[in-house]
Amino acid sequence: MACVKLTDVKKVYDNNVTAVHDFNLEIKDKEFVVFVGPSGCGKSTTLRMIAGLEDISGGTIEIDGVVVNDLQPKDRDIAMVFQNYALYPHMTVYDNIAFSLRLQHMPEDQIYQKVTSAAEILGITEYLMRKPRALSGGQRQRVAIGRAMVRNSKVFLMDEPLSNLDAKLRNQMRAEIILLRQKLNTTFVYVTHDQTEAMTLGDRIVIMRDGIIEQVGTPTEVFEMPHNIFVAEFIGAPKMNMMTTKLVKENGKYFVTPFGAKIEVDGKKGEELAAKGVQPQEVFLGVRPEHITLADENSPAAIPCTLEVNEMMGSELHLHVYTEDETRLIVRIPTINLSHEMRNSLVYGKKMYITFSGKVMHFFGKDTNENLIY
Amino acid sequence: MKKYTDLEYLKLPKAKRFLVRIASSVCSIPAKLFGLIMKLFSLLKTIAVGIYNEAVDIFLTFKNGDWKTRLSFLVMGFGNIARGQVLRGILFLVFEIVFIGYMILAGGHWLSLITTLGKNGPSSVYDPILDVFTPVYNDNSFKILLYSVLTVFFIIAFLFTWRVNIKQNKIAQQILASGKKLKSSKDDLRSMVDDQFHKTLLALPLTGIIIFTVLPIFFMILVAFTNFDGSHNGYTNNLFTWVGLDNFNTMLSWTANSQGSVQSYSATFGEVLTWTLIWAFFATFTNYFLGMFVAMAINKKGIKLKKLWRTILVLTIAIPQFISLLYVSKMFAKNGIINGFLMNMGWIDQALPFWEEASWARVSVILINIWIGIPYLMLITTGILMNIPQDLYESARIDGANAWQQYRKITLPYMLFVTGPYLLTSFTGNMNNFNVIYLLTGGAPTNPAASSAAGSVGYTDLLVTWLFKITTGAEAAYNIASVIGILVFVAVAVISLVVYNVLPSIKNEEDFQ
Amino acid sequence: MSQNIVSSKVEKRHMGLKASRNLSNTAIYLLLVAISIIWLVPFVCILLQSFRVESTHQVGYVIPHVWGLDNYKNLLNTDFPKWYLNTFIAAMATAVFQTIIVLCMSYTLSRFRFKLRKPLMRFMLILGMFPGMLTMIILYNVLKDLGMTQANSVPGLILVYIASSGMGYYVSKGFFDTIPKSLDEAARVDGATRLQVLMKIILPLAKPIVIYTILTAFMAPWGDYVFARYISFGTSSGKNVAVGLYDWLNHDQIDKCYTMFCAGGVLVALPVTILFMCLQKYYVEGVTGGAVKG
Repeated sequence: MACVKLTDVKKVYDNNVTAVHDFNLEIKDKEFVVFVGPSGCGKSTTLRMIAGLEDISGGTIEIDGVVVNDLQPKDRDIAMVFQNYALYPHMTVYDNIAFSLRLQHMPEDQIYQKVTSAAEILGITEYLMRKPRALSGGQRQRVAIGRAMVRNSKVFLMDEPLSNLDAKLRNQMRAEIILLRQKLNTTFVYVTHDQTEAMTLGDRIVIMRDGIIEQVGTPTEVFEMPHNIFVAEFIGAPKMNMMTTKLVKENGKYFVTPFGAKIEVDGKKGEELAAKGVQPQEVFLGVRPEHITLADENSPAAIPCTLEVNEMMGSELHLHVYTEDETRLIVRIPTINLSHEMRNSLVYGKKMYITFSGKVMHFFGKDTNENLIY
Repeated sequence: MKKYTDLEYLKLPKAKRFLVRIASSVCSIPAKLFGLIMKLFSLLKTIAVGIYNEAVDIFLTFKNGDWKTRLSFLVMGFGNIARGQVLRGILFLVFEIVFIGYMILAGGHWLSLITTLGKNGPSSVYDPILDVFTPVYNDNSFKILLYSVLTVFFIIAFLFTWRVNIKQNKIAQQILASGKKLKSSKDDLRSMVDDQFHKTLLALPLTGIIIFTVLPIFFMILVAFTNFDGSHNGYTNNLFTWVGLDNFNTMLSWTANSQGSVQSYSATFGEVLTWTLIWAFFATFTNYFLGMFVAMAINKKGIKLKKLWRTILVLTIAIPQFISLLYVSKMFAKNGIINGFLMNMGWIDQALPFWEEASWARVSVILINIWIGIPYLMLITTGILMNIPQDLYESARIDGANAWQQYRKITLPYMLFVTGPYLLTSFTGNMNNFNVIYLLTGGAPTNPAASSAAGSVGYTDLLVTWLFKITTGAEAAYNIASVIGILVFVAVAVISLVVYNVLPSIKNEEDFQ
Repeated sequence: MSQNIVSSKVEKRHMGLKASRNLSNTAIYLLLVAISIIWLVPFVCILLQSFRVESTHQVGYVIPHVWGLDNYKNLLNTDFPKWYLNTFIAAMATAVFQTIIVLCMSYTLSRFRFKLRKPLMRFMLILGMFPGMLTMIILYNVLKDLGMTQANSVPGLILVYIASSGMGYYVSKGFFDTIPKSLDEAARVDGATRLQVLMKIILPLAKPIVIYTILTAFMAPWGDYVFARYISFGTSSGKNVAVGLYDWLNHDQIDKCYTMFCAGGVLVALPVTILFMCLQKYYVEGVTGGAVKG
């Protein structure tokens, strides 16, 4: 129901540490935006500035066109779910959810309606008379969401809401948040350090590091076209392999020469390099683990390497290998493609050959760490 | 001193490692002190720069201000009222009127007398009808000093408010210039329970502290430079006046003022200070270690009735100290129960001089203080002992540590780390532990050499009980009491500073966080 | 063969462990019993002596030869009831006002981050290093001017007790610090003002520390000697129990009043002790938390 606009937002703490540098972002109405980044990157600080829990050192934040810099949180018409849920321990679940409505002096029968319908949606009706400490982590999470839901506010803020749950529950709640989002149909700002959550939940992802936005884009964009090495390595698991290699140009075609192999950069990637007029140079070459395949020894594109660790993940194998110059790479191979003998032979010290296609390469400048195509 | 790298340090033999550590912490003291002094300087610099910046800002506000702002320099709150913030404006205005009224009616008068603390002492007038001389009291030095201090505080408060008033004008002008709206009086009231709530909450406590602690302390510091005592009480006998550093001279010069067999103030002060420090040391650490020991004994696995033992000890905390201490003091008296019991049993022929001989009395107060103090420490240490992660002990046991080693290597460092600040406050608290000493011995036995110097100082008197005696005794030497008060402050402050600034280097090594 | 020796050694050590544990536990029990006796003797003595009617001075035995309630009855003919009332009123008022002031102070210092917060805390630390007794000289004179001393000592006493109580914020601030800040934040997002946060969220959660503060504030006036001595200065009806009973043990009074002192002491200690024992749990919580936080 509202758009949020951040213009040159800055956060400088008293000890002169800058947590957020000139943050610019426009969040559209009903959009689900995820802030993601390693801890200490300023994502939570930014969210808390939107909520009004932190002072804004510079710039402006607008909600629905109104500058809210000097407004108290209660006057901003926002709802927020906290990392540790922040349920009021001395109140029952019902009172927790009803708290904000009571502060608005809503009549009790309306409160009853709202709280019970929210509880219905979240499946916590039977716990309404319990105190928070008698609930499990997942139930507490639902209460926290319920508390935010009943307010029908313009913006829904979530600060790492799933990080205190175990892996299984986290997957389940993630799905529920997607459903909830469809029901509520409001603007969401969601903070997480987990790239999977960011990819699955967000319409757009804001990747941050050290208080700076590294990239903003849809999940597909940031996955397929990471602007720099940081984003490339942050998005996707296991993380993207990086190797130092030469980009050369022969007869108008680009080639890379990793570890003695010679692989043509073909298809769209080659065209894009040509369109940008990229000169031959030393580059960081990035290849995602799932794009590496086992190769025939005789192929010119084959890279010799030695197996160090073989992780059996069920549907796939994660092979940790190292090349002649001790570069560590990870190869992800679907189990189904391997014969039984082959699987058994993949043990420590095995010499093997890998390769990858030119279509799936990412090139980053040696000095800038920036994507050469972007 | 040679600097060791981590690996070199680890290669040293144990004894040498210890020496290196001591040496490095000793070597760091000058640097620390230097840092402290530099901090002080930078603080002064910050203050000076701050005042300069304020002055510049005031000037600029006047220069750039419109007529509303400029008039507010004279009539406080005018700008607020003219811009629609009526509530704020009226408060400013009322404050200014009260201030000016006070200065004209009273403040000016008191301040004008501060240099001499009054000219006309009491005199007497002959009353022909009754045929007696009736005393006439004129100036009152005490009130002059008191109200002068009050007036100075008031002036400071006024200057501060005046500054706030100007700043508000500047801000209001800026806000209006940028086309935004000012906060209304209603907003102001609302923000008092919201974003400005801390000011509302602090108003009452801080007023109390300023009037009942800060102001009296200032007053007493000033008294240290006067001759305010029983024979110069400032009103009914003689006025008192400024005497410069005379009182400090009396107190600190080690040779002056010795008359015959009677000890000077300075010698007495030295003795009392020494005993105060000895007392504080023993009172703190005997309680600390014995309290910890008792707590560990009660908490030991397999000991039953834990709650009973604890409750019995806690009884001492519940019963008001004056009852238990006074009673115990009488128990140990010459004709008290203890002596009576011992004589009935035939173990002694003569009553033991618990309170009559200096060393007996000193040991007795320390021992009885253990009786008073163990329960507190037992409670405190019980809580902390339970917080020590059990896996530390389990891993130590697997590593082969016996009970003593576990205590020495885990319990004690943990306790010292957690209770470090507590130990410091409890040390300074014991230096000022009036109740235990005064209720037990009243300072007795009296030190005959020092008796006429000030009050009647005894061998168990601490600085604070001595202070009490001086101010309530016949001589009522408030001036000397103030000097002692200042010296107590200096002693406590120095100890705290040293502990805070020098110890952490050692403390960090056993960091448990 | 060698295996046998090892295993027997282990067995021996094992047995030794158990035996030594029994031994040390016995030693600890002995110690605890001794401690209990030492700690209880004075209280038992004072209780017994308050029933002794054959003489009023100090004696070298504990169990009265003649039992009776005379000492308690005699108390009624002295100023003791007046002292008791003085102390009780002062304690009640102190409990109320001091608690309010301490909570205001500690909540603010725990929750708000304003520019002068750190300097303020440091300033109060420094103020605390001055012997508080010194300020009594001036306060006595001021209160005397206001007519709040001697016979009218109670209002003066209350004022002195509560005036600077803001400085004793450490323990409750430590407690407030343990309540997660995100609760405040959640409530503020939910639409609560700071005042509502305090009243609806923090205070209900701070019940233990509120009780602790009330308890200590209530108990302090019962044991105060210094301030009451100054303020009641020379007037019997203005004393509190501590000053009154202390004076009974003066050299010229003690032979007449010793047993009455015991009776008075019992009457003072009884209600305070019962109250304390009922609320012991909260006291322990406060003391423990306060020491750890420093």
